Amino acid sequence: GNKHASTPADNYYLARRRTLQVVVSSLLTEAGFESAEKAAVETLTEMLQSYISEIGRSAKSYCEHTARTQPTLSDIMVTLVEMGFNVETLPAYAKRSQRMVITAPPVTNQPVTPKALTAGQNKPHPSHIPGHFPEFPDPHTYIKTPTYREPVSDYQVLREKAASQRRDVERALTRFMAKTGETQSLFKDDVSTFPLIAARPFTVPYLTALLPSELEMQQMEETDSSEQDDQTDTENLPLHMSTDDSGPEKENASVLQQNTSLSGSRNGEENVIDNPYLRPVKKPKIRRKK
Amino acid sequence: MNRKKGDKGFESPRPYKLTHQVVCINNINFQRKSVVGYVELTIFPTVANLNRIKLNSKQCRIYRVRINDLEAAFIYNDPTLEVCHHDSKQRNLNYFSNAYAAAVSAVDPDAGNGELCIKVPSELWKHVDELKVLKVHINFSLDQPKGGLHFVVPNMEGSMAERGAHVFSCGYQNSTRFWFPCVDSYSELCTWKLEYTVDAAMVAVSNGDLVETVYTHDMRKKTFHYMLTIPTAASNISLAIGPFEILVDPYMHEVTHFCLPQLLPLLKHTTSYLHEVFEFYEEILTCRYPYSCFKTVFIDEAYVEVAAYASMSIFSTNLLHSAMIIDETPLTRRCLAQALAQQFFGCFISRMSWSDEWVLKGISGYIYGLWMKKTFGVNEYRHWIKQELDQIVAYELKTGGVLLHPIFGGGKEKDNPASHLHFSIKHPHTLSWEYYTMFQCKAHLVMRLIENRISMEFMLQVFNKLLSLASTASSQKFQSHMWSQMLVSTSGFLKSISNVSGKDIQPLIKQWVDQSGVVKFYGSFAFNRKRNVLELEIKQDYTSPGTQKYVGPLKVTVQELDGSFNHTLQIEENSLKHDIPCHSKSRRNKKKKIPLMNGEEVDMDLSAMDADSPLLWIRIDPDMSVLRKVEFEQSDFMWQYQLRYERDVVAQEEAILALEKFPTPASRLALTDILEQEQCFYRVRMLACFCLAKIANSMVSTWTGPPAMKSLFTRMFCCKTCPNIVKTNNFMNFQSYFLQKTMPVAMALLRDVHNLCPKEVLMFILDLIKYNDNRKNKFSDNYYRAELIDALANSVTPAVSVNNEVRTLDNLNPDVRLILEEITRFLNMEKLLPSYRHTITVSCLKAIRVLQKNGHVPSDPALFKSYAEYGHFIDVRIAALEAVVDYTKVDRSYEELQWLLTMVQNDPVPYIRHKILDMLTKNPPFTKNMESPLCNEALVDQLWKLMNSGTSHDWRLRCGAVDLYFTLFGLSRPSCLPLPELGLVLNLKEKKAVLNPTIIPESVANNQEPVNSTNNHGQSVGFQNTFSNSQEEEEIDMDTVHDSQAFIYHHLNMLERPSTPGMSKFIASSTRMAPVPQRIIYLDISPTKKYEWQVELRGHGSGKEQSLGEVNMHPVSAAPLSVFSKESNSSKHSDHHHHHHHEHKKKKKKHKHKHKHKHKHDNKEKEKDPFAFSNSPASARSIRSPSLSD
Repeated sequence: GNKHASTPADNYYLARRRTLQVVVSSLLTEAGFESAEKAAVETLTEMLQSYISEIGRSAKSYCEHTARTQPTLSDIMVTLVEMGFNVETLPAYAKRSQRMVITAPPVTNQPVTPKALTAGQNKPHPSHIPGHFPEFPDPHTYIKTPTYREPVSDYQVLREKAASQRRDVERALTRFMAKTGETQSLFKDDVSTFPLIAARPFTVPYLTALLPSELEMQQMEETDSSEQDDQTDTENLPLHMSTDDSGPEKENASVLQQNTSLSGSRNGEENVIDNPYLRPVKKPKIRRKK
Repeated sequence: MNRKKGDKGFESPRPYKLTHQVVCINNINFQRKSVVGYVELTIFPTVANLNRIKLNSKQCRIYRVRINDLEAAFIYNDPTLEVCHHDSKQRNLNYFSNAYAAAVSAVDPDAGNGELCIKVPSELWKHVDELKVLKVHINFSLDQPKGGLHFVVPNMEGSMAERGAHVFSCGYQNSTRFWFPCVDSYSELCTWKLEYTVDAAMVAVSNGDLVETVYTHDMRKKTFHYMLTIPTAASNISLAIGPFEILVDPYMHEVTHFCLPQLLPLLKHTTSYLHEVFEFYEEILTCRYPYSCFKTVFIDEAYVEVAAYASMSIFSTNLLHSAMIIDETPLTRRCLAQALAQQFFGCFISRMSWSDEWVLKGISGYIYGLWMKKTFGVNEYRHWIKQELDQIVAYELKTGGVLLHPIFGGGKEKDNPASHLHFSIKHPHTLSWEYYTMFQCKAHLVMRLIENRISMEFMLQVFNKLLSLASTASSQKFQSHMWSQMLVSTSGFLKSISNVSGKDIQPLIKQWVDQSGVVKFYGSFAFNRKRNVLELEIKQDYTSPGTQKYVGPLKVTVQELDGSFNHTLQIEENSLKHDIPCHSKSRRNKKKKIPLMNGEEVDMDLSAMDADSPLLWIRIDPDMSVLRKVEFEQSDFMWQYQLRYERDVVAQEEAILALEKFPTPASRLALTDILEQEQCFYRVRMLACFCLAKIANSMVSTWTGPPAMKSLFTRMFCCKTCPNIVKTNNFMNFQSYFLQKTMPVAMALLRDVHNLCPKEVLMFILDLIKYNDNRKNKFSDNYYRAELIDALANSVTPAVSVNNEVRTLDNLNPDVRLILEEITRFLNMEKLLPSYRHTITVSCLKAIRVLQKNGHVPSDPALFKSYAEYGHFIDVRIAALEAVVDYTKVDRSYEELQWLLTMVQNDPVPYIRHKILDMLTKNPPFTKNMESPLCNEALVDQLWKLMNSGTSHDWRLRCGAVDLYFTLFGLSRPSCLPLPELGLVLNLKEKKAVLNPTIIPESVANNQEPVNSTNNHGQSVGFQNTFSNSQEEEEIDMDTVHDSQAFIYHHLNMLERPSTPGMSKFIASSTRMAPVPQRIIYLDISPTKKYEWQVELRGHGSGKEQSLGEVNMHPVSAAPLSVFSKESNSSKHSDHHHHHHHEHKKKKKKHKHKHKHKHKHDNKEKEKDPFAFSNSPASARSIRSPSLSD
């Protein structure tokens, strides 16, 4: 029992099902049952329905096999034979005396299957194609659609669009943030026209203030990563040469430094830069004072 | 220290010489913000009877002092904790300043004084007589220091290292005594051994070479061992501990950079330039960097942006920047260069006394200027010199003068060299911060004047000589007595100059160094056609405050048709007029080019000039070789020629400023031409923008064409095809970047006939914001966007308000609505995509305040107060605080003033505390001559308390409070106070005040006790740390102090627990807040103290209030006071009762033999005989007033 059935399609199927149930019940009465459990009736109904469905399905296959669209009696016959049913017995069974007549199911409209979204007018068949042939599919599925407008290449419009788009996004985003979080307002009587996202202190304020945002980092990489690399390269090399005047130690050191940068100090190799802060921490000596 | 002394070499004010000091900090607790450690000073007595050692120490709690392993008694007395304590009704700044100067003197290491006085145990007297070495070992701790050491502990989850907690030393001038006991003087040099035991995840950065790093036994901590073998003053010792990221400089491996976690990429970029600065200084000074290593540490919540110490510098972390930031880069590089210049002069070479400070600041500022010239070019350098000159001139004219080399001798009445100031310039610690900034500015300008006089070559030779002498001295052992070569003195410096250059610069020194004030010239001229002579008249104003009379040569440059000619005039007493013969005939040859000063020949349109005169323009003192202000009159066309054709940027800037007074189409044209000229220095072009805006406003009724600068901006920065849209940003050309930033800001200052910003301009700026597109730019546009917001703010004009209606959204001006729209969006976007240093938030806050002030938006400080809270970025906080300060003034809000003053006392960031006072002083809610509801007795008391005792942990802050007090109330008693009780009988003739004897008992009863108790509550937080056991009499019986080792341990344990008063006598004295012991000191030994002070006071001839000191000399008043307090005190601590009595008796006994020394000292001035006081044990006591021994 489907209490909540309400759509026309559901009603339609429910009515058919109920008729089938009546059929099963009358057949049971005919066979001499006085009562039946609901579950049994349901099961039989289910079986009957499957059987009838199978007949329909097979019949349709046979009919289509012979290039037709409407099944004929012979299709049904073949089907029944195929399903192992003795067709000969059917007329006699139909005419049996104790059969019960059931009222036809209430007339309900076949549920309208929702149409596929149509785009544009389907093209009518040209004269050389018979009318029974299937209709043309929707035009968008096969027609090359010409672009109606030239792509916007006008600089001014592009800039205009980019600007307003960005502004809209920003406004929407900030408004959303303002709506979902705490706000401050410049006007006591109105908190919604110019909502300010409330100032919230940071635990480490300098980080957000100093580090470039991810967006900026991305931008920087995009704009001229190659140029930047070049720069650092050139910075490293020739300037080392210019430090020679500051003494031989320095020169050595810078040569050494280049070596390390080549070999990569990550490998755990001995670090050649002698800086006290890079030296390993010593283990405590066991010594006694006094 | 006067010059004669300097000639003989350095004379130490101390009866001993420090040779080596160990500082060992074995425990640092970030949670509790406490430090435990010890110091050990190795000293050699220089006199046989040394029995007292005076050291500096503030805030430190001292547990134990041992000399050569013998327990030593000590007294702690710091009069600067509470400057004026006995007269709670005194509210007169003059009085305070004198008392404060006296208090600072009383502990001034340069006078041989100190807060901590240690008695040499008698067992060692013989040892001392043989002048043998003494090792003074002091155990100390610091608990929640309010100055000197600054802890930054972010409030979040994780270990201290994960949280980025760090601590660093900071302070203004010699402030090392705030974090360990030392001789906190720039003139006492010694070698150092520094040890810091810190968490294994932390790094301790300090001076000298890191010798080794050793784990502790539990492997959870490590100890950093530093050795500094170059003799260094304690004041140049510093420390920074934190979970720093370490970067070894890729160019110089002996240089190491440190920054806070996550900032390493920024550190790499920021310091990538430093090696060039090194090279520059080493080259010009022909001297290697004196230390074997150099460290830069970038920390948060910095006290100052740059602090230079021996072989290391501490910088604000906010100087770090990425490669995308344009504006910060030159500023940061300047800071690095400044810090490095101070390494040579300031750290390596120290000074003999405070009055020699100008030499150090002057030289470091001067070589920094040379670096500027080389790095940023001559234009930038000259612009900077002009800017500095204008600043110092403005400051001196405002305040009455900055004296570089104050000489304090004699002790005569009229000896205060800066009577025009509301503070004493005798000590760095009494100076207003602004004065000190200006002092440094003047010092380097004067060095430049000396250079002008003796040539740069000689100048550098002098520096080289100073450095090589110091270098030789630094490698010597102490015994050779060479270390004083590392101290610079004014006389030594001048001698060096005369030796090297053979020139006499005495007049120059006399004019600018020994004397304060600047020169104010007024110039005008007439051309005498008949004689073909320029008659120049130069007048001086030398009567206004801050001015002085100039006598000497003055260069005048005259640009004529035939060329540019220099003339040197002699400025003398009475000659005002100077005849300068002209070289050119007035008749001009149209086709001839005009030769300029630099040899260039240019075509000029000469139609504007006077047909009879060959003069194009005249400049007075073009090289800025006098510290002066020149007001020169010449006609508008001359200024225009000067602007267009004179190649010196200073001349161009002067011309621009002068043209403001000539709003004519010709001026407009000259300015526009300059704006368009790409060869022209960008700062001149920026200045021209603002001048053009002013001229346009003056010419508003006759102005033709689009608003000023609009078409120019369009041409330079907008798309060719669509002129209303700005090009996508490309800031590769910095000159045009700066111009692009500035022009909208200047344009927004334009006003139409109704005095409103033209709609066209506003729309133009809004379009700039709308179409701003930085996607293709290599650089960040945060400063540009911030300036566009500034431009929006500049466009705001006062709202037209009907009947003072309340500002609501409904009556919002539509233009303002558009502006608000942008500000809201910008401010909100900052929360999502914050800009570098939050420049945009800063500009938005400023703009909102402008809207409030102009009546478009209801005036309300709530928004600003939320942004001013701790936890916002410092720039944002300061912008917000500035708005609150402004609100306080405009709306006369007592509540906000209180809120600000609370923040001055409680904010964790010292710079913010200082800045609030500074901003309140610059934009005061009221001034001394103003009636204001804010001016009331409670406020006076509050501020008085603030400067008297609330700011004793920070010299700069205290001086800031003094400045504010001066601005609000002036020098004398604030007018809002009721008339003082007639407690004083003033004897005007003798400038003496005597306490009216009839009210003595009352004053004792009423004044002393209540004050005690209020102090008890009010200030207990501030001074808990201060160790003050001064209620011990001078003669401390050692046994009573250190009866056993157990006691020490007990006391060390105390650290772990909150201290409770009254545990034992000793603990009581150390844990109670200072004011109470302080008061007891005063009462107990006031005659001693007051006597000292009074000598000082008299010496500096201050006003009549000083003589309050003499009140205590009054035999009748002093004795009862003393007794009374002793009793009241001992009744409070009944367990000490017997002790006091014991002491009291003891004291009385001693006075008998002290007495006879008294007369000797009466006659002598203390300053003339600084040793007498501390040399003999007897004399130290002899200053006790005779009255007590009776």
